[in-house]
Order: sequence, then structure tokens, then C-alpha cells
Amino acid sequence: MKKTWKSIFAAMTLTSLVLAGCGNASNEVKPEGNSEEGKKEAGVVNLYTSRHYDTDEQLYKQFTEETGIKVNVIQGEGDELMERLDREGEATEADVFITADAGNLARLKDRELTQAVESDVLTTNVPDKLRDTDNEWFGLTKRARVIVYAKDRVDPSELSTYEALAESDWSKRVLIRSSENIYNQSLVASFIELNGEEAAKDWAAGIVENMAREPQGGDTDQIKGVVAGEGDVAITNSYYVGRLINSTDAEEAKIGEQVGVFFPNQETNGTHINISGAAVVKHAKNVDNAVKFIEFLTEKEAQEAFAEGNNEFPVNPNAEASELLKSWGEFKEQDINLTILGDNNARAIQLMNEVSWK
Amino acid sequence: MRFIQQVKRNTNAWSMLSFLFITIILLPNVLIAINSISPSSENWLHIKEYLLTDIVINTSILLLFTGFLTMVIGTSLAWLVTVYSFPLRNFLKWGLILPLAIPPFIGAYTYNGILNYTGIIQSTLRNQFDIQVNQKYFNIMNMEGAIFIFTMFLFPYVFVVTKSFFENQSSSLIENARLLGSNSFGVFFRVVLPISRTAIIGGGTIVLLEVINDYGVVKLFGVQTFITAIFQTWFSMGDLDSAFKIAGTLMIVVIFILVVEQALRGRKKFSHSTTKLKPIQPKKLTGWKAWGVFAYCFGIFSFAFLIPFTQLVFWMTQTYEKIVTVEFFTLVKNSFFSAAIAAACIVTVALIIANYSRLHTGIVPKFLSKITILGYSIPGAVIAIGVITVFIALDGFIANMFTSFNADAPTALRTSIIMLISAYVIRFLAVGYNSIDAGFSRVGNKYTEASRLLGSSINRSFFRVDVPMIKGAIVGGFILVFVDILKELPLTMLLQPFNFQTLATRAFRYANDEMVNEAASASLLIILISGISIFIFHKILDKGE
Repeated sequence: MKKTWKSIFAAMTLTSLVLAGCGNASNEVKPEGNSEEGKKEAGVVNLYTSRHYDTDEQLYKQFTEETGIKVNVIQGEGDELMERLDREGEATEADVFITADAGNLARLKDRELTQAVESDVLTTNVPDKLRDTDNEWFGLTKRARVIVYAKDRVDPSELSTYEALAESDWSKRVLIRSSENIYNQSLVASFIELNGEEAAKDWAAGIVENMAREPQGGDTDQIKGVVAGEGDVAITNSYYVGRLINSTDAEEAKIGEQVGVFFPNQETNGTHINISGAAVVKHAKNVDNAVKFIEFLTEKEAQEAFAEGNNEFPVNPNAEASELLKSWGEFKEQDINLTILGDNNARAIQLMNEVSWK
Repeated sequence: MRFIQQVKRNTNAWSMLSFLFITIILLPNVLIAINSISPSSENWLHIKEYLLTDIVINTSILLLFTGFLTMVIGTSLAWLVTVYSFPLRNFLKWGLILPLAIPPFIGAYTYNGILNYTGIIQSTLRNQFDIQVNQKYFNIMNMEGAIFIFTMFLFPYVFVVTKSFFENQSSSLIENARLLGSNSFGVFFRVVLPISRTAIIGGGTIVLLEVINDYGVVKLFGVQTFITAIFQTWFSMGDLDSAFKIAGTLMIVVIFILVVEQALRGRKKFSHSTTKLKPIQPKKLTGWKAWGVFAYCFGIFSFAFLIPFTQLVFWMTQTYEKIVTVEFFTLVKNSFFSAAIAAACIVTVALIIANYSRLHTGIVPKFLSKITILGYSIPGAVIAIGVITVFIALDGFIANMFTSFNADAPTALRTSIIMLISAYVIRFLAVGYNSIDAGFSRVGNKYTEASRLLGSSINRSFFRVDVPMIKGAIVGGFILVFVDILKELPLTMLLQPFNFQTLATRAFRYANDEMVNEAASASLLIILISGISIFIFHKILDKGE
């Protein structure tokens, strides 16, 4: 009997060592600002975001300086954070959710993770098309999915529409990344809306047929592929070109100069645009701060910082785009409410799988 | 009646704690198994029709080639540095473990950066010599590239175990074989390979499980595997049930690997009568043989460490001013402490289970020890969601308890680091356990038995006899786990508390946003901290136990 007690004691010692270790952990690395006193002042807004640009962090700091409201952040991938939020349900600590792609934002609403916001500031700053029909999410920045071409081999007059890239003229000349990427899913989702499911599938099949190589890497890799002569055109988001032009690496900057940016479908239904946007979480504990925070991000000043820092287009019509963005010229946008991208997302993925878009 | 007696005799704190820990580890697995037999959805039929074949074929090719190559390279290097003396041997003995410090996804980004159009090779050829090359020969983003990356950054798992096995186990056998007139090849293939089978296969199994669980490399290179399919169906299609079905199929693959491992390992146990073994006298190589062996070893070292490391240093010099700010040191602190604390927890849990299962015979203890590896085999993302679910329930329970006493509930567990640490423990227990289990099996049970015969209790024997004898294995296990957690991605990204980032998540974000240069500083620090740990690990191994 005595032995048993001794062994229990020994084992407990070990276990308490484990627990003590864990307990220490929470003291050692506990984030500041999530502490009790922070909450009592009601001076926080808790943010889940899939954007991780330095510009964004600067803006959060600025918001804290102006309002005294501390911004606590969890950065992650959009769909994973969404899953976490869903699991947490009412127990969540999150107040604001920021993610790229309207498809993701629409899904967020479908899963009933957002709430409607009444704010004149937001409805003024964000055009109808770039926010949810029930005001459950709001666009923060705009990105255009453009055609990037090799200046030395392609005359822009050869280019016209996304649809034309699926024709036989462009056989083995098109570079685009995998179907796993949400940008391409949303592009196809927009075609399902505009041209119908059959046409969207035919387009995807045509693109697969015309691919210069199997999809690999990110958008930057497609642009490099154009300059390297692997293909003549690439479908990419516009800000990647801007980033290359502004790169600290001389070789990359050179790449940026060797390609042209073409906004397709100007004579027809417009260039595909997408957004990154924000929503107030359904079970948010700090709703007022959350709204204030999103309002702040849609104001002229923050909007111009987004544009300058990451070469994205502002959603606020009063904000000016950066010099570089202006140099690409005005363009006509696809005229669909972006909610549709979410509705069509699952079908778009299936369709791309069916035509073996890797 | 006898059964009850037996249970009674075998029940003590060690066994109870072992069962407790095992239950915790088993939970997410059971969750997958149960969920994967839910009725098929439309999505699942779609996946079966269009994706599953590709996934199975791709994953098999990756596993087959990476497994084979890492075992060949790891074992051959271990053999060469153990029995021969050649230039730089003393450095390579631990230098060849260093590739473990580089997370494969960082290796992949780095090699792509070196080889692509704006990389150092192509831009030098273009600008200095006016040579345009065919991109085909410089493209690493494909299946062959993925195999190359995994082989280069994972072979040390085989190298470490086989090297320590060669050093500790085979000296007398090798010398006897030599005395009996066998030549080097004969010694290696007829004596060494058969007895070191267990070690080689054990190391190879870890490599395979790492490959199965990788997300960063295959995502970048566009290779569809089980993990990319799980992420796609779960997150893109929003279909958790189908994701569980894929995870369930993956578990069958993992169990298959573990069964094959057992079968290949055989039943033999090798333990020695003394713990102080005579070290092997390395044979001095001269002339072309010495340089040939050097070229092979140093060549691998260059591809697996030197080249990517140099590239990262170069990128860092371009970007460090922007990146290395005060906040950067918080990243270092976060990474270091979370990894160290989780590693300490893991070593303790592993010690308890390993000690229990070695002192008891029968099917239950054996079974327990096998389960420890399960956490290592399920995708981190799946563990993460399981852990969140458990912690939300736990928080609810605690809150209820406090309200019934009319007290304020303490801060929620799920927003604290405890949740993340628990997930690390579940995920990486196998790594620590393997090391400690190997330590125990090397010394065998006779010292414990002697100590018990002389009247010591299990606990006294454990602290006074067993632990000191396997100190090396304990520290070794700690360091391996520590390095693994420093590199860890999916769990950290899914379970991080507010304002908490690690070096790995920061590096991944920059790289994933296609800013590889900016990712260099964080990557280098991971490599530096891991590198120092590996050096210490080597010193411990070298001193013997």
C-alpha cells in the first residue's frame, strides 16, 4: 500500500511538472493587451485577418493612436480562420474578420458568422457593388485580375478578352496558377454568372488546353514565366506587377518593366475585380469598436495607404490610387455584385476539377 | 479472477497516467474514424471520381522515392562518417544533421528563388555571359523537385538514428568481421545492414510521416497529395465530412506504413551487457578514396544546407532593415518558449508511457506504445480542429463550475497558449517517445531488475537508475521535438492566441505572399536556433551515454 502511494506521489510530481511547465508558458508568452484590465476599459477590438501586410499593421497602430482602442490580431489563412470562428461559435473572442476575396466573405455570411451593420460612413465610403446586399460585409481594397503580357512578343492589340485566351490562337502560350487558388476560382465563378455554366466550363477546358505548362507557383511565378519565354501571357492579379516594379531586387524590378498590364473585356462585360473586405463577427463582444475600426479603414487616408503600400485599388471613390496604378489607366469593371462569387464557388471548383485544371 | 488480479497488480500511477495521456491522443483519431464513415455526400463522389486516383498515385510516388533516397543517403553517410577518417569528417559528423534545421517549405522557396528566372544562376548567365537557358532544365516546381526537397531536408532523420546505432551497437561486430577477413563492402552488406535494419527503417518511417504531413512544399510545387486534398475539400469546398473521409483514407495508408515497419523491423532485440561501449576506430582513408568520400559527403551537405543557407543570408542583407525591428524579437521569444515548454511536456509524458510499457509485458502496453505515433500521422489541421472543440467544451465546463460557486470564471483557456501547447504535445509525442524508447531498449531492463531485486521501488529505480542511464536519449528527444516545433506551421497558424506569432508563421506568411526576400530573416533565425540545438544534440550523442 505504501508503495502505491509513493508511486502516485512520484507520478503526480511528474504531472505537476508538466502542468507547471504549461502554466509558465501562459505567463511567459501571454500577449499583452489581452489582459483583464484591457478588457475592462472596453478599449479593444479583436481581429482575425488573412491579410498580413506591413501596411495593415501600420494602420492598426494608427487606429490605436487616434482612438485609444487596442487592436489584438490573429493572422492566418482566410478559410482556416473561418473554420476556427465557426467552431468557436458564441464563445469566440473575435470582433472583426478581414479576408481577401469576396467568395470568402460571402461564405462567411452564409455560415451565419457575420452581422449586419448600420453605418452611414460605411455606406458612403464603400460602393454598393463592393459590399454585401444586407451590409454584412464591406470591401476594403480592390484588385483586378488582368492579363500580363511580354512586351517584346505580344502586341496589346492581339489581346481582347479572357474568352479569347481559350481560343486556338493562344495554344501553349497561357500561364496561370492552379485551380486550388481562390483568385482563379472566383474568376470562373464570375464567368458562371455572366456566361452560364456551360460556357464557363468550356472556357476552363480551353485554358487547360492552352496552358504553356502545368500550373505551379504563385502569380509572381507566372509573370516571371512570361519574361522567361515559357508563355506569352499570364492571368494574374495586378498588384503583383506593382510589387515586382518596386522590388528591392534589381532583377525582379527589371522583370516588372518587361511586361505590360492589359485590362481585358473592356468592350464587353469588363475586367474581373475582387476585393479584400471586413465583416463584424456575429458574436462580437465589442461591436461599437468593431464598426469604428472598419470605418477607419475605409476612410480616405487609410485607403490611400492600402493603395500605396500594396498596389491595390481603393474602394472609396474619394481616395486616390497610387501613381503606378494611375499609370495603368482607367478601366471598366465586371458589373456583378460580388456576393455571387461566393454562391458559385463550389461549382467553380468542381468544374475546374472536371476539366483537369491541376 | 486471475484477470482481475493481473489488472490489480498492473495498476499503479504509471499505468493510470499512461492511459490518461493515450486517451487524450486517441481522441482526435477516433473523431476522424467515426466521421469518415458518415454517408457519402455529392462532394465525396466528385472527389472519388476526379481526384482520388491522382492523390493516391502522387502520394505513393512521393513516399516511395523520398523513402528510398533518404534511407540510402542517410545510411551511407552515417556509415562513412562512422568508420572512415577523411577530410572534414569531424565537422560532417554533426554538419550533416544541420539540414534538419531548415523547414522543407523554406528550402523549397529558397531553391525556387535560386533556380528561377530572376535567381542568381539564370541572371548571372544572362547578364554576364548573355546566355538564355531553357526554363525546363531549371524548373524545380514539380514532382521531381518535391522529391529532391524532401530528400535533402529530411534524410538527417535516417542519418541520426543509424549513426548513433553504428556508433553504439556495432563496433565489436564490425571489428570481428574485419578480423575474420571481410572487406569493407562485405562488412557493410553482410553484417551491418542486417543488424541496423531497425534503426534505418525507424528513421525512414519518420521521414515518410513528415512527407505525408507536409503542406507547404506540395502546395507551392502544385503536387496534389492527401493533405492538399484535405485542405481543398475542407476549406475551399467547406465540406468537413468529405475532408474527414480523405483523412480516414490517409489513416489507412499510415497504418499500412506502420504495419510494414513492424514487419520489416523483425523481432530481434539488441542490447549490450555494458553501457560503456568501445568506440569504433575509424579507418584512415588516403588518396582518391579519401577525396571521393569527402566529395560525396560534402556535396550532400552543400545541397542540403550550405547553398540554401547562403542564399538566405544574401536575401537577409537586402531586407533586414525593414524586417528586424523590436517586434521581431517577440517572435524569437514566442518561438523559443513555446517550443521549449512543449518539448518539456512531451519528454515527461513520453518517459511515463515508455517506462510503463517497457516494464510490463502483454498486448496492452505494446498497443499503448504504438498509439503514441498516431498523433504524428494525422494532419496538423485535423488535430487543431479537434483540440479547439475539446477546449471550447472545457471552457464551458469550467465556467459552469465557477458560476455554480458564484465566482468569476478565469480567462478562457482557448485564448491562451495552453491550447497550442496541448496540440503540440499530441502532434509531436511520437518524436520524443521514439528517442526515449530507443534509449530504454539500448540499456535493456536488467539494471532496473537488479535495482528492484535490491529492494528499490519502481519510482526510486526510475529516478536513481533508469533516468541517469538514458539521459542522452532524454536530452536528444527534447532537442528533436524542440526543433520540430520551431518549424511547425499548420497547428500554430490555426491555434495561435491573439498577438502571437512565431518565426515559422512569419516566414511562411512572407513567402506565401510571394515576398521570399522578406522571409529570409525569420527563416535564418529558425535555422540558427535549431542549428545550435542540433550541435548540442550532437555533443551529447558523441559523449555517449
